[in-house]
Amino acid sequence: MIELLDNLTQSAVTLTAFIAAGIFYYRSRQQAFYLLACFLGCFMLGTFHWTLYILLFDTTPQVFYVSELAWNASYLFLLTMTYTLASEEEKKFRHPAMLLVPLFCLPQLALYLTFGEIMGNLIMVGLTMTAALFAMRGFLFARRQSGPARQKQYFHGAVLVTVFLEYGLWTSSCFWISDTLTNPYFWFDFLLSAALLALVPALKKAVTA
Amino acid sequence: MTYVENIFVCVAAPLLVSMFFMGKKYYRFFFFAFIGMGACLLSAYINTFFAQLYQADLMNASTQIAPVVEEVMKLLPLLFYLLIFDPESEKISSSVLTIAVSFATFENIVYLTQSGAGNLVHLLIRGFGTGAMHIVCGAIICYGLVYVWQRDWLKIAGTAGLLGASITFHATYNLLIAHGGATQYIAYALPLVSLLLAGVVKQVTSRMPRPSQAEEAGADSSQQ
Repeated sequence: MIELLDNLTQSAVTLTAFIAAGIFYYRSRQQAFYLLACFLGCFMLGTFHWTLYILLFDTTPQVFYVSELAWNASYLFLLTMTYTLASEEEKKFRHPAMLLVPLFCLPQLALYLTFGEIMGNLIMVGLTMTAALFAMRGFLFARRQSGPARQKQYFHGAVLVTVFLEYGLWTSSCFWISDTLTNPYFWFDFLLSAALLALVPALKKAVTA
Repeated sequence: MTYVENIFVCVAAPLLVSMFFMGKKYYRFFFFAFIGMGACLLSAYINTFFAQLYQADLMNASTQIAPVVEEVMKLLPLLFYLLIFDPESEKISSSVLTIAVSFATFENIVYLTQSGAGNLVHLLIRGFGTGAMHIVCGAIICYGLVYVWQRDWLKIAGTAGLLGASITFHATYNLLIAHGGATQYIAYALPLVSLLLAGVVKQVTSRMPRPSQAEEAGADSSQQ
């Protein structure tokens, strides 16, 4: 029951965020909002399909996760967004703290490989880790700026939080405790829904700065 | 046992002969019609292969394997066409829709040979349901690709996103059909309702002033 509630909440939240990003794109015609709308739209489709499957069959897919394709496409949009949002100067910026991203992601990838298939995990972790790497670079770069350029830190921070929560979600799904709220999986997923919604105002702040 | 390759030959042969009489102008249409039917034929083989590999039953195969295989098989020849020939946007949209229509037609022909053509009402619902579903998936790819392939920064992510969207739509349709009961009828209505909604949204957005036009209009009225 809680899983269904969790998925329904996420579907509704991503749909709201998708519509909001679409409206901002319609008003401003800015590429960043277009990519955010695509990211949220694909994520919403994946979540919607997953929710529908659980709702109709009361179980998760047994052979292949169709939703993962939509989620992977959404991460590709997130990666494109974090890459295209960076200025030329930002792209050349390097900081030792960027190493924290692979240090955080790669051990968890090793864990996922022991549980699931190789290709799907490599794609999912590869895309999110690269997006987080760009977001970390953008965050550190923005923190060194003054004036409007500093506003980008909120968006990059939101991307980092989103990726962190995704990994928390995946790792907690490897150690399934229960179907109740005692399972950290559901907390990570509820927080992820909030983080996805927060991406819209964070990007607005970064773009309009 | 259904000999799908024999059906393919039987359907494609008169089309092939007529292609030479219709002239060069229509070669592209026939070519993509053959590709759509060929994609359907190959999809049947690949679906069976994966269903055997994963020991999937009919429900799991139709909801989790078939949508992925069929949408990828429809997209691959199109990607080849885009990468090699770099066509104009008008040619992209007509090619995608031709592939989708011929795929749906061939699938319906195979369905008729397996299930018979006795129940007209059921076939009418299926025709407007499954047939329209392939057209909707084709339209997602079609209008999306025309937009995406004009922007270099969006090509990879955009194509993956469109494929993800069309697979999810197809899988959702198959999921509702597989569940049976009342949800089956929701599935049959889904493609036509989606087409109708897309049409309404298009009409509404085309009538709304663009933000820049609205600002200009506002500026004009304030000057008066």
